[in-house]
Amino acid sequence: MLKRILLLITIFTLFPMLSLAEGDIEKGKEVYGKRCSWCHGKDGAGDGPASEFLNPAPRDFTLGVYKWKSTPFDEIAPSDEDFNRMIAGANAHNGIPGWTGMNGTSMPGWADMLSGSEIKNATAYIKSLGGLEKPEKGKIDLSSKVRSSKESIESGGKLFRDRCSECHGEEGRGDGTKKLKDDWGGRTWPRNLTKGWSFRVTNEPEDIYARITVGIPGTQMPSFADPQSKKIMTDKERWDVANYVASLDEPYKKPGDSDAIKAVRVTGQLPKDAKSEAWAKAEYTSFYMVPQIIANERHFKPSLNSISVKVLYNESEIVFLLEWDDPTKSMPWDEKAIEIADGELFVDGVAVQFPVVSKESEKPYFGMGDSKPVNIWFWQSEGAIDSPQSLKLMNSKGASNSEIRMSEEIGLKATGAYEKGTWRVILTRPLKTGDSKRDIQFEPGKFIPVAFAAWDGSNGDKGSRHVMTSWHWLILETEADNSFYVWPVLIGLFVFAGELLWLYSARRKKD
Amino acid sequence: MKMPKIIQFIVLSLLAYLFFKAPGFLLGKPIPESLIFMYMFFVVITILLVMTSTEKGTKELFSPIRALVEDPSKRLIRNVVFAVLPLIAIYFTYNAVKPSLEPPVELRATHPAPPATIKAYDKTFDLATLENPYRRLEKEDPAQFRQFVGEGGVIYFRNCFYCHGDKLDGKGHYAQGLNPLPLPFQGKDTIAQLQESYVFWRVVKGGPGLPKEGSPAISSMPAWENMLTEDEVWKAILFIYDYTGNVPRSWGKK
Repeated sequence: MLKRILLLITIFTLFPMLSLAEGDIEKGKEVYGKRCSWCHGKDGAGDGPASEFLNPAPRDFTLGVYKWKSTPFDEIAPSDEDFNRMIAGANAHNGIPGWTGMNGTSMPGWADMLSGSEIKNATAYIKSLGGLEKPEKGKIDLSSKVRSSKESIESGGKLFRDRCSECHGEEGRGDGTKKLKDDWGGRTWPRNLTKGWSFRVTNEPEDIYARITVGIPGTQMPSFADPQSKKIMTDKERWDVANYVASLDEPYKKPGDSDAIKAVRVTGQLPKDAKSEAWAKAEYTSFYMVPQIIANERHFKPSLNSISVKVLYNESEIVFLLEWDDPTKSMPWDEKAIEIADGELFVDGVAVQFPVVSKESEKPYFGMGDSKPVNIWFWQSEGAIDSPQSLKLMNSKGASNSEIRMSEEIGLKATGAYEKGTWRVILTRPLKTGDSKRDIQFEPGKFIPVAFAAWDGSNGDKGSRHVMTSWHWLILETEADNSFYVWPVLIGLFVFAGELLWLYSARRKKD
Repeated sequence: MKMPKIIQFIVLSLLAYLFFKAPGFLLGKPIPESLIFMYMFFVVITILLVMTSTEKGTKELFSPIRALVEDPSKRLIRNVVFAVLPLIAIYFTYNAVKPSLEPPVELRATHPAPPATIKAYDKTFDLATLENPYRRLEKEDPAQFRQFVGEGGVIYFRNCFYCHGDKLDGKGHYAQGLNPLPLPFQGKDTIAQLQESYVFWRVVKGGPGLPKEGSPAISSMPAWENMLTEDEVWKAILFIYDYTGNVPRSWGKK
């Protein structure tokens, strides 16, 4: 019996070692041809049919350079565990629900389609494309972890403003002052560190520490452990920065929690700017924005990915706060802005869309309406140094069928300000305009469809090249109405009365 | 001791309920609540009918309930039941009438009935007889067929995969911004249930070409007739069936 147990133990200890064996390159090539080549190219040069429509571009395997790895900066090869995580993906992170791949890229997690051995074989083939050997150095050491604390975050913040904000912006919103390119010539926008859900893998301090320590090979994100670097940081300093960066996350602005914006009723004046304390009364409702890829000219390389909204109203007016992070303020007259822009520089913009006639069951087409018209409020930033911001009111029955009206006509006003990587635009309008055939009328207690679009002029966004949402909802909260309590009380009494009647009649029968 | 009829009734109903719930608990494929409600309605009625088919049975079934008000020794239970019943009624009424901030539910047919014919590419297509012109090559000229499937893949990965996904699972990297979500092609409940002519209609006419019950206003599927040729659409259709191992439905003609 003992022998048998020993044998079993031997098998179980040997098994993982066997599974650590190198994958089969030939079999891996087959998997690769079927699943990977569409983006990464037939020969692994990152030039598959989809590649020109993707940013970041699919990895070119022939160079053997990998952005995401846990081996030290002076070790080119990622570990097999890294490859597995890159390919299989992971469920347990703070990313977009349903997406197990690398955030912000088109690389999905393959664990549900490829078996462990298929992934291993594909890894072997992919490594062979770049002539990668097994890494000589192992995973970087995470054992020195400095636990997050007020002090650690504070000193990390100081270091961050000194070493990191040139690219990542003063408050980490990716609004740096440098134009970044990767080694393959692709435009890179520095990570917006306040959006934890947009990190490639996770925004846990360990992962952030690893990026700071290893760098992101092939990009301008250096290793801050490299003694050659002028910006080198000690181990503790890197943990402090990691803790600081993790603390920048704004989970309350992560999209997807609610499909409906709740407009809060206030008494008296509505706020006239984004700084007003009145906004504390409402909560952010945030939505993903994706590029417009359904009608020409399509947009495949967005630089914006979400918008957060607050709405307040009083007895006569409604005010919207549209807040979205944009790495650049697009000023077509400004040399620095022109230099940072990707190609020709246009203005920034944002638009809100409502159906003219709001019916819950029947919405107009979400892309600028159809036979059922939509109202679009289209704000744009300054086009020249001495020109004002613009606001257009549009009535559209489809993308090529728009009537442009004067916003003053219905008392629609807008003002926007850019600060440290965030645009905040305030839109105000009377609840009613007196023309229900042409304008949406805001009625408390009713669900009103609403959609958004935004333009980053420094990313070439203009006209139909923009990011957008599909229809969501806006509801103007009504004052608490307690009349509905009558019904449960009545029904309860009714049932009780029935019981008494039953008891009474039973007693009578008995007598 | 024989089980009292009323307990039998409760146990049988519970067993039936568990039976209907089992697929959800065990296989992760729940039967919709509304269906379960309907099934349970019939089950309960049937049990009642059987139990009350004789006078004696009826008496046995209802005697514990009657005892509640007639038997003085059951007073405590009676008081409890009399207190609990109105509370349950209050609870359900409250849930039914309390104002909710839940957005309206959008009722939408995912695969609405297709029209008889569609007009596209300066032609009229009869959806009842329309076939993928390349499908027959699968048997007649497999090499050519593979070639076209590959071309379809290129079309898919330049146009469709942003939403329908790298793995054709409906989870493309922009899917999170869309409502309703893009359909997956993997699995046996989407394209495997459809004829290629139907898929052709959906691709060519997109969201804007949906009938009313398909809620055209909220589908993000473009009308691809504006961006792809007829030939490209057929090849992309070949590809999505091939990649997922699905077989299009046919009219049964050989």
